[in-house]
Amino acid sequence: MQKGEMYVGWSTKEEVRKRGGSGGLVTSMLAAALEKKLVDAVVVLKKINEFEAVPIITSDVNEVLNSAGSLHSVPSHFAKLIANRNLKVALPAKGCDVRGIIEQGKRNAINLDNTFIVGLNCGGSMHPVVTREMLEVMYKIKPEDVHGEEIEKGKLIFETKDGKEHAITIDELEEKGFGRRESCRYCTIKVPNNSDIACGNWGVTGDLVGKATFVEINSEKGAKLLQNAIDAGYVQVQKPDDKGIAMRGKIKGVMEELGKKWKGKIFVPIETGRLEYFRKELEHCIDCGACKTVCPTCSCGDISKCTQYHSRGDAYKMSMYHLVRFLHLADACIGCGQCSDVCPVDIPLTRLYRRFANPVQEQLKYEPGMDMQKPPYFEVKLNE
Amino acid sequence: MSAEALATSATQTNAWEPKIIAFCCNWCSYGGADSAGMGRFQQPASARIIRVMCSGRIDPLHVFNAFLEGADAVLVTGCHIGDCHYVNGNDKTKIKYKYLENVVHELGIEKERLQLNWISASEGEKFANFIRDVTAQIKKLGPSPLKPEGVA
Ligand SMILES: Cc1cc2nc3c(=O)[nH]c(=O)nc-3n(C[C@H](O)[C@H](O)[C@H](O)COP(=O)(O)OP(=O)(O)OC[C@H]3O[C@@H](n4cnc5c(N)ncnc54)[C@H](O)[C@@H]3O)c2cc1C
Ligand code: SF4
Ligand code: SF4
Ligand code: SF4
Ligand code: FES
Repeated sequence: MQKGEMYVGWSTKEEVRKRGGSGGLVTSMLAAALEKKLVDAVVVLKKINEFEAVPIITSDVNEVLNSAGSLHSVPSHFAKLIANRNLKVALPAKGCDVRGIIEQGKRNAINLDNTFIVGLNCGGSMHPVVTREMLEVMYKIKPEDVHGEEIEKGKLIFETKDGKEHAITIDELEEKGFGRRESCRYCTIKVPNNSDIACGNWGVTGDLVGKATFVEINSEKGAKLLQNAIDAGYVQVQKPDDKGIAMRGKIKGVMEELGKKWKGKIFVPIETGRLEYFRKELEHCIDCGACKTVCPTCSCGDISKCTQYHSRGDAYKMSMYHLVRFLHLADACIGCGQCSDVCPVDIPLTRLYRRFANPVQEQLKYEPGMDMQKPPYFEVKLNE
Repeated sequence: MSAEALATSATQTNAWEPKIIAFCCNWCSYGGADSAGMGRFQQPASARIIRVMCSGRIDPLHVFNAFLEGADAVLVTGCHIGDCHYVNGNDKTKIKYKYLENVVHELGIEKERLQLNWISASEGEKFANFIRDVTAQIKKLGPSPLKPEGVA
């Protein structure tokens, strides 16, 4: 097995295969890595209910097997969880998780040689609070009655405890202000080829739809993970058919184009009054610091340049704290949406931070988290 | 408004002197400012010079701070590329400036309010002309929108 190869596979464990997002291959691969001591720990989401789950670092194979399934309303982020712990670890990772992990790797907070990144294709995730509201307003169902959820053919489908299915197209939901988080709409990493192995349901055809995962090996580590899982008897794979490969490529392209369209729609140039715009958006900031704490590309400690100014004394015409961060994140922001998600006063932070990051990253031709290219800020000379 | 009032308001506008913070490198532009004085090149009294040992020491934070405390313009100056006394401090300045320029622009601050210039110790006239040009540009723009209330 080597880089560039593609397979379609599934878990050999019936229970995992049934519960998995699409065949349970990811869960089984993680469990096999743990059991065969390829890694000492695995990160998975421990489900509380459809809308809540906590990421855990575990060395218990059963706990890993129990984590099978995709949670679309849990926009967690794993980079900071494993940073500065010196772990030999394997973990599932959406595109934005992968990017955060790579950026932490560049900052020497994560040893990438010891980190096995199982990438998940990602069409987007939703904010749990928005999802609950959406269920009541759009679906007219009580969040407590939801039993399961899935995305199929552009529709978001909720299954209620009475066995009924409720489907609405994602386009319609987003038109009404629900659906995926804003950052996911313009996210352009749909197949995480920056991970060790990219997994998803796009490209699975025929009888296997919903029961198997399409994987693409991106690195030696990825090949090792999959081979290990096969040798351990946890997963089975076969070659994908040409139709599946073509389909996957096509969907990826369509999703990326859609992302670009959203980007244009959200980041309409503000010709005049930009300062007023930023002032207004930031005026309710309560200086809690949560946006910095969660930011997966920041590796500064509790005391850092921005936090020096983070107090009620930061009463200038523009917040010094945010000015410092606008600058520091201009090349580093991966647009993961974590800052917006945690802000207690609902400031659309990712939108603000991307206003600065978009032009800088375009000018410097630098996409953080996609490869090991050094941040331009640390280059001695600009390659213009 | 009466003609008289118009005249006074006009002179008042003209009388307004912008506050310009000029960060100068000890080995070049600071010397340039000195040469400007010694060569008796005419320049307005708008610039406040802050001496640093190398332009590479100028943290974007210093620039933000200058604006937030009431500067109408901030100048980042240093040795010509290749002449930095600490090998490549000014190359680093160039990179930092690229970020800074973008942030200040996106924020909606006019580009004239932040400028970069390489000025050697012997270029007194260039220094004086630079301050004069920037002062004229800023006089046209008026006070910076980032200036705190109550600061002239
Ligand atoms: C938010 C989200 C959106 C997705 N969108 C697409 C898509 O558009 N197209 C596509 O082809 N595939 C998508 N996937 C991937 C797909 O749903 C399956 O995860 C993938 O096919 C692997 O299936 P599996 O049965 O092998 O995984 P499983 O065996 O079910 O393992 C899934 C693993 O992912 C972890 N996990 C679950 N939810 C999250 C989360 N929110 N964040 C991080 N980790 C999580 C679990 O802990 C578990 O370890 C998405 C996944 C997620 C989490
Ligand atoms: S930002 Fe991108 S990778 Fe992350 S959850 Fe949203 S769509 Fe998925
Ligand atoms: S600034 Fe916000 S969107 Fe950008 S990387 Fe940090 S948390 Fe993510
Ligand atoms: S999370 Fe929101 S309130 Fe807290 S510091 Fe950031 S912007 Fe301010
Ligand atoms: S010494 Fe003048 S810029 Fe470095």
